[in-house]
Amino acid sequence: MTRTIHLSLDINGKRHELDVEPRVTLLDALRESLALTGTKKGCDQGQCGACTCHVDGKRVLSCLTLAAQVEGRQITTIEGIAAENGDLHPVQAAFIENDAFQCGYCTPGQIMSAVACIREGHAGSEEEIREYMSGNLCRCGAYNSIVAAVREAASAVTTGIEAKDKVEVA
Amino acid sequence: MTIMETRKHGDAADGMVGGRFSRLDGKLKTTGGATYALEQPVKNLVHAVLVQSTIAAGRVVAVDAAKAKAAPGVLSVFTPEDDLGLLVASDWFGNRPDNQPFHPLPREVSFNGQAIAAVVAETLEQATEAAKLVKVSYEETQSVTGLDDPDAGEGRLVDMLSVGWGDAEAAYAAADIKIEAEYRTPREYHVPIEPHGLTVKWEGDFLTVWEPSQWTHGMARTYAEWFDIPYENVRIVSPFIGGGFGSKAMGYTYSAVAAAAARKLGRPVKLAVTRPQTFTAYGGRAATRQTIRIGATKDGVLQAIVHRGASETSVFADFPEQTGAATPLLYAVPNLSTQHRLVPVNTVTPGALRAPGKNPSAFGLESAIEELSYAIGMDPLELRLRNYADHDYQSGKPWSTRQLREALTVGAEVFGWSRRSHEPRSMRDGRQLVGWGIGCGTFPVLKAASEALIRILGDGSVEVVSGAIDMGQGTYTILAQTAAEVLGVPAEQVDVKLGDSSLPGATVAGGSMLAGAITGAVHKAATAARDELIGLALNDSNSPFRDTGANTLVIADGRISVPRGEGPSLTLAELMSAIGRDRIETQRNTLPEGANGPEDHKRSWTTMANVQGPTAGDLSMHSWCAHFVEVKVDEDFGTVRVSRVVSAFDCGRIYNPKLAESQWRGGIIMGIGQALLEEGLIDERFGRVINNNMGDYLVPTNADIPHIQVISVGIPDNDASVLGGKGVGEVGIVGVAPAIANAVFHATGKRVRDLPITLEKLI
Ligand code: FES
Ligand code: FES
Repeated sequence: MTRTIHLSLDINGKRHELDVEPRVTLLDALRESLALTGTKKGCDQGQCGACTCHVDGKRVLSCLTLAAQVEGRQITTIEGIAAENGDLHPVQAAFIENDAFQCGYCTPGQIMSAVACIREGHAGSEEEIREYMSGNLCRCGAYNSIVAAVREAASAVTTGIEAKDKVEVA
Repeated sequence: MTIMETRKHGDAADGMVGGRFSRLDGKLKTTGGATYALEQPVKNLVHAVLVQSTIAAGRVVAVDAAKAKAAPGVLSVFTPEDDLGLLVASDWFGNRPDNQPFHPLPREVSFNGQAIAAVVAETLEQATEAAKLVKVSYEETQSVTGLDDPDAGEGRLVDMLSVGWGDAEAAYAAADIKIEAEYRTPREYHVPIEPHGLTVKWEGDFLTVWEPSQWTHGMARTYAEWFDIPYENVRIVSPFIGGGFGSKAMGYTYSAVAAAAARKLGRPVKLAVTRPQTFTAYGGRAATRQTIRIGATKDGVLQAIVHRGASETSVFADFPEQTGAATPLLYAVPNLSTQHRLVPVNTVTPGALRAPGKNPSAFGLESAIEELSYAIGMDPLELRLRNYADHDYQSGKPWSTRQLREALTVGAEVFGWSRRSHEPRSMRDGRQLVGWGIGCGTFPVLKAASEALIRILGDGSVEVVSGAIDMGQGTYTILAQTAAEVLGVPAEQVDVKLGDSSLPGATVAGGSMLAGAITGAVHKAATAARDELIGLALNDSNSPFRDTGANTLVIADGRISVPRGEGPSLTLAELMSAIGRDRIETQRNTLPEGANGPEDHKRSWTTMANVQGPTAGDLSMHSWCAHFVEVKVDEDFGTVRVSRVVSAFDCGRIYNPKLAESQWRGGIIMGIGQALLEEGLIDERFGRVINNNMGDYLVPTNADIPHIQVISVGIPDNDASVLGGKGVGEVGIVGVAPAIANAVFHATGKRVRDLPITLEKLI
């Protein structure tokens, strides 16, 4: 029998326990062991961005990350970005409103990238968004609408943050 | 029977159908809730991994699977030694040889990358590892690796594809102005972001297959025939498809392997084709070449087009990528001759990729037309308008609708074409050479019957049920709109169930024909449901409408009431409760009355034998488009950037402009990839696709794509479909690559006739 290791992964604010082989990637752990199939596999080679997740708030390609590497880190997947009450994240809402997808298969990766792209401060102009969203391929060709959605969400998120800051100050 | 006029406008939000609704499946797709084929929670699964051949032609002498079998977790290794007990299934048209065995893991190798073994293990990692341990020894034979292989020859003439009228050779010889050139396109691949694969499960003689499918019913038939079980025993489930572009409309050899393995092992099997394997697990667009000669008068009136084309196919099956498909359609020309040849080479059999035939065909013709415009010294827009075809010269029939003139003039206006200076290299932006080009596109209207079920439920909600699919075109949404319009309820109140072969029959989501076919069926079924509901409301003894004396009722905004407002007004839920019904169900199809038996159903839903071509009736029906492209070329480095695109489309009436625009842009972006990036590279020693991954086979990224302006100039075409639409999905790519090649010529004075236009061809 192949050797397995025990892992505890913190995903979307919940602790998940699993026994997997050490060679299992974060992507396969999510999809095959934890039934978190929102994260997509497009290439398994770090070339398409479909598997993008956040580890400690930064975007990573989960197909190039071993599950064992991310123990003790905060993992966020597409299933974990909407509000607890089910309200969509502004990026999710903007993707729907701008029709920023067709088949939807690249979409979780695009959204996770977009959330990070805005957080990184790389959503200042259309040109910048194009550049910083280019690690996520979309064969359906939703690029124009992705740019529009990220722009829209960036202003929504920024306004949201400002409003929140004010509340906290008050 | 209620007669319902469809609304009139092609492009505006004039009601439910025609409205800019967001996708109904949007929430599922943006939250990770949409589950694709490899994401089904099936218990007790095992994983299969393919082993592909490493030679282009020959024989498998032996497979040494001992090490693989001994590896941890491995359950079985399937090789050419195993008779999987399958039979050859029908082709797309329902033709099938009798009792011919099918060996999906063959002993004879016909191309490099052909599946010859499969390893099944408890986990994906174990199967992947063990697949590497399988040792295959071959007896190699001579192979032909591509169109340019000296042994490939000229190929075989496909008589069916020869088209001609007048005397093209004589007219060409006599013409004042002549141009002649050869145009080439390389192997191109679909590269949907969801790689292919499937999950299969047997329960006795019943087979469930979760597989991305552009055609659940057609694929169910294939599995039933492979395993010699009744069609009804197979269920293909495909609610979401991660992009298909023509590649997910049939079961492939690996599909058969997975299903056979599941049967042998008595456990459900998941088989994921790896990204590199996708390049040979099914065929992309065949490489093509075509020579075009055009003769014209000095003032630009076409006299003759002579076209000679060829595409590669595999050594065991024919798939012609018809280089002459668009040639006879775009212009008025009194003399024409096209011929197409098939050249067998050692490749996987090529397949249908977005606008098969039309796409490379338009690359040739639309490049050649602009070459002619420079030979004459005439603006290429003017040349196109001067040779505008007022009818279909090939069939001799009138067009149903053809707004190509409008597409050209409106597109030119929006693009600012009149500011162009005709001379190559005459426009600049600093160090960048600027070029403008045009490319026109066309795609035929194909018609097929389909079937749909409508349910009005006790709570007033509506269900639309069909085995049709949505791979991103927006079927879920436009069907909700169609039912909502007929039944007078908000689209959000409509639930659409699709993507399951056990549901009512539908034609393939291919040839841009599904939307026209399935909206027709839904419209018919919804109209019948509406009639039934109104009939019950007027006649049921418990209905508050019974004594109103009204002879019909109106349904709007979710309420049913007497026309002109006097009398009761009920929500659908209130009415259903009053008449004591928990559902009204109507199932309708669009087959003709006389051909509506079980055999007709099977033939119509599971084969393409009943699909009608664009000139089956008295008219010639096609979608049309004109692309206007600006490129900027760095003179020193030869890099090409597409900086602006304006495309105008005639696709008839548009059911949902928001979604149609996305499809058009998607086609245009794939066209930009085709023009500048995409090329399957073959190692001539081994016939192997070298760049079989997404880092080396380049598809456009976000940063490659400018804002693309798309415009609808269509008008409803009620001959083309019940609701007046023509095909949307494929026409968008047609004409993009030549528009870019033309713009590059305008910028640089260099004519690139072999795609893609890479920098070494420009410096
Ligand atoms: S699946 Fe990870 S980058 Fe493609
Ligand atoms: S939506 Fe299909 S790949 Fe992006």
